[in-house]
Amino acid sequence: MFICEDVSFDIDGQKLFSNINFNLKPQKDLLITGPSGIGKTTLLSILCGIQKPTTGKITYNSIDLYNLPENKIDEFRGKNLGVVFQNFNLINTFTVKQNLEIAVSAINTRKSIPLFNLLDKVGLANKSHIKVANLSIGEKQRLAVARAFVGDPKWVFCDEPTSSLDDKNAHIIANLIKEESLRCKASLVLITHDSRIQSLIKFSKIIRLGEQL
Amino acid sequence: MLSVFLMVVGITIITVSILVNQVTKNTFSKNNPGLDAVVGAKGSPLQLILSSIHHIDIPTGNISYQNAKKIIKHPAIKSATPISLGDNFQNFRIVGTNKNFLKLYKANLISGTAWSEPMQAVIGYNVSKITKLKINKFFVGSHGLIDTGDVHVEQPYKVVGVLKKTGTILDNLILTSLDSVWNLHSDTNKNKLEITSLLLKYKNKTSSFSFPRLINKGTNMQAASPSFEISKLLKLTGNAHRIVDYFSLLIIILSFLGILITLLNNINERKYDLAVLRTLGFSRWKLFSIILSEGMIISILGSTIGIICGYIIYESMYYFSIVGRSIEFGELNFLNDLFLIWIIVNIIAFITCLVPCIKVYKQNIRSTLLNS
Repeated sequence: MFICEDVSFDIDGQKLFSNINFNLKPQKDLLITGPSGIGKTTLLSILCGIQKPTTGKITYNSIDLYNLPENKIDEFRGKNLGVVFQNFNLINTFTVKQNLEIAVSAINTRKSIPLFNLLDKVGLANKSHIKVANLSIGEKQRLAVARAFVGDPKWVFCDEPTSSLDDKNAHIIANLIKEESLRCKASLVLITHDSRIQSLIKFSKIIRLGEQL
Repeated sequence: MLSVFLMVVGITIITVSILVNQVTKNTFSKNNPGLDAVVGAKGSPLQLILSSIHHIDIPTGNISYQNAKKIIKHPAIKSATPISLGDNFQNFRIVGTNKNFLKLYKANLISGTAWSEPMQAVIGYNVSKITKLKINKFFVGSHGLIDTGDVHVEQPYKVVGVLKKTGTILDNLILTSLDSVWNLHSDTNKNKLEITSLLLKYKNKTSSFSFPRLINKGTNMQAASPSFEISKLLKLTGNAHRIVDYFSLLIIILSFLGILITLLNNINERKYDLAVLRTLGFSRWKLFSIILSEGMIISILGSTIGIICGYIIYESMYYFSIVGRSIEFGELNFLNDLFLIWIIVNIIAFITCLVPCIKVYKQNIRSTLLNS
């Protein structure tokens, strides 16, 4: 069970959002939506242990995330969470394959991970030796999705995965996220203001961020 | 690369300096078998010591053997060993002397015997190794102390003994009787026989004040004290070594700065990548250790290559110089010094690397990712 309890965040003494509460059962999907500037990306950073909230608690299967030492938070994120960032956060000087390999080394697993299969699923198998800087936006998005699923995460967070894509690519990415989540038996938390996403993925829970304020 | 290069240059210079310093001290202390004075022709006392004990310089001249015999009988003298220089074989000096010379250096034979008649020679360990001379082999001396090709073909020496390694200058000498040297140089008139110098040990150390004065003022010879002359020389060379050491220290400091700047630049250029690695699950400590490893690789690589280069230069100095051949470096105890330098350099590099490592450790990944 994943629980977000009374989470608030202040910037320079001003409340960005407050008292966010929800929980998510295993293998269920949550959509967090709301207008631009409401703090969706900040919330995602808080949920996956990148940004400490001003108040509140994030719990993964009884583990209080922000009660862990910072090093353990990083390790927890690497081993249990898959994150697709809005701006991808890929290493541009690395090749497609290297970006997946570095993610594998972060997990520190002995399990062999079939990277080629993963690249094949996202349609980048023939571009594995191309530097990320030379990929299109759609390709970068697909690579970011592939990287998020490298370690078979239990929870997957996606920040605006389709916003910058045309309908066709948005459809491909949404399907990919859904399929991979099912394969990993992961809970999915998707944050977006893109209204198309609800027609592409069926969510078990929807939170409208503006309405909670 | 520049950091590694600077580190290599600095460590190489300091290594050579340490080795040369050790060689100088080691050679000078080992080569002197407790001699109190050397009596020879007037001239530079240091030159007399260097030529008669360490076999580096040319002698100041010759002294009359008749006069030398008077010194041998002097009541203040415990032992006196005459030596006569003038020839060499493949740059190894041929020393005419008596068997007391072997006792002086506590020399033992690996094979053969000591000389018993003129034109028989006992060769040092290195001489036999380098020239491949063996017992019963003949060789001809070359006139002068450096191989000039002007050889005494008519009178060859016969090798009758090979000495055990002593780690002293003895290993690089060819010993023969005084008669051999006199024969070669046609000195047959007993009253006109000459030697190069007389190696002396006093019965009583108090003679070290009175005896040299007696020789220096009362005769046309000079008495020089090995310990006094060598300490003067070491003082002079010590200053030069210190300047070289300061210079190499400066280069090493520059290399530390190089490592620091390189790592800080790398971090600035890669701060986004490092933040991405954190999001993927690399902990702060993992990134800390990665940056530390990068810096330490530069330092360990540079310091190790530097020490190896320094040692190669030192070895080359020994093998490729004529002077080197007349010096027995002995067994050097430099490993401890070099290891200490290596450790100190890498500890300082470690401390230097902590600056960028702490910067990475304190990095705020969210703001870095947002700003990028």
